[in-house]
Amino acid sequence: MKRLYKNNLVTFTFLIPALLFFSLVVIFPFFRGLNIAFTNWDGISPTYDYVGLRNLKLLFSDTDAIEPIKNTLFFAFSTTFLVNVLGLLLAVALNTKFKGVNLLKTFIFMPMVISLVLASIIWRYIYSDIYPILFHTDSGLLGNPSTVMLGIVIIAVWKEVGLAMVIYYAGLQTIPKDMYESARIDGAGIVQQFRSITIPLLMPAFTYCIPLWLGTGLRQFDYSMVATKGGPGTSSQTMAMYVYNYEFPYFKAGYGQMSAIVLFAFILFITVLVTRYFRRREVEY
Amino acid sequence: MNTSRATKPFKWVERIRIAILYAIGLLFLFPFYIAIVYSIKTPMETAESPLSFPKHISWSNYADAIEASNFFLALRNSVVTTSATVALTILVCSMGAYVIARNNNRFYSFFYYLFMSSIMLPFQVLMFPLYKTWADLHILNTLPGLITSLTGVQIGYFCFLYVGFIKTVPRELEESALLDGASRYRTFFSIIFPLLKPINMTIIVLSALGAWNDFVVSMVLVQKKAVSTLPLVQFQFFGEYTSQVNMAFAAIILSMIPIMIFYGFAQRYIIGGVTAGAVKG
Repeated sequence: MKRLYKNNLVTFTFLIPALLFFSLVVIFPFFRGLNIAFTNWDGISPTYDYVGLRNLKLLFSDTDAIEPIKNTLFFAFSTTFLVNVLGLLLAVALNTKFKGVNLLKTFIFMPMVISLVLASIIWRYIYSDIYPILFHTDSGLLGNPSTVMLGIVIIAVWKEVGLAMVIYYAGLQTIPKDMYESARIDGAGIVQQFRSITIPLLMPAFTYCIPLWLGTGLRQFDYSMVATKGGPGTSSQTMAMYVYNYEFPYFKAGYGQMSAIVLFAFILFITVLVTRYFRRREVEY
Repeated sequence: MNTSRATKPFKWVERIRIAILYAIGLLFLFPFYIAIVYSIKTPMETAESPLSFPKHISWSNYADAIEASNFFLALRNSVVTTSATVALTILVCSMGAYVIARNNNRFYSFFYYLFMSSIMLPFQVLMFPLYKTWADLHILNTLPGLITSLTGVQIGYFCFLYVGFIKTVPRELEESALLDGASRYRTFFSIIFPLLKPINMTIIVLSALGAWNDFVVSMVLVQKKAVSTLPLVQFQFFGEYTSQVNMAFAAIILSMIPIMIFYGFAQRYIIGGVTAGAVKG
């Protein structure tokens, strides 16, 4: 009995390092943040008051939040759509043997390994210097408030489509080849094979990819920060940038923290919903 | 005889398809081409013809960039941060995941779900309180502070990947070692850990890429140049030297070189790593 107890203690010591890091970086700040969200703290002064749900009310009545919300939704849904559709098409197209196919995969995945900062900076110059030459316009997409989000979406698609491609490519390898064989014997064309074999059997990959891109898209901060700093004006500000601005440069930590929590709740709601939708469509074979 | 006639138009379509794919591949390389070309041009030539390859290669952009961005300091900070984060992540997550995977009771499941719940947590929720906590602990603007955070925010996902893998490792080996009187730690480090090589490789590449390229966490927790990593230095550098584009692009290429070498050697593991959570093996 005593030995068993000692064994249990020794077993638990394996978990302690992970728990220590996790508590320090995630659990403690999370609850501290929950507390801050109900205050009017500016983030610096030693005192603050609890204001109940006032920050929440302020957030829902702030008309300045509409633009970042629109931008965030536009970014999240268009990158999710484009990255996954293009990634899937590339995966299917490259799932054959021809000279240079591996090199092509290497090239398309390459933007994924460089930092987002480098990707955004390079594209900033492509838009300002190269784009006007190629398309004979005065300014690139990032200089115009009505096209700036599209410009940022293109950067993200260029950077991330390789990731979707390799995930779908790996998914395609799990589909038994004889399924296509028997479908062909039954007279199914390429499009029909794609619709009735590839798509349903790739469902686990969709269940992974689509909530992943929605979740990361809804918290997008870095592309806008590096490529445009939220500009021109505030036309490419996202929700995550809105949070950052209130917590740091505007010195409204309480309000900023409340918006962060609302953003989190929203992302959680969307991703859980979407994950369920796709999980129900997974088939056994 | 019949088949050759049938495959001829097919081959033709196939050629076009492959040509389109090559064109797409080149399209993906185009931004890299621009970055390289810009980095070896003089400002004069850049203004005249931004797209073309330079007639005369101007290496001085690189020398200027190294000096102006204090490149080697940033490189050192990035190398220290990344290697420490990777080492800590491997150690901490494999140990924790091992006992979670081997003890199917409520106590350990609780920790499993606790870790898992952080995967969907956006960093924006932790950003400000973490910043304040790090200030209280006097580890703001220090590499240990940054390393601790980069390790902590990833624990959820990496433990999840480890637990999934460890469950497929048979128990017999470790049970006989334990019966022979080996301690739990010895059993883990001399028997289990070597068996985890495939998942260790996955976690090494994922956490290395994550730490090396991190911008959001570093931006919040590090504001001093002396401890800035490459992405931060790049970000600030472009703010300061918007007029010296060629030098700034030389700095971009310089900070791309290490990760490209890593990609060249570890591509198989990187691709295996990013698909690890997606496809059930």
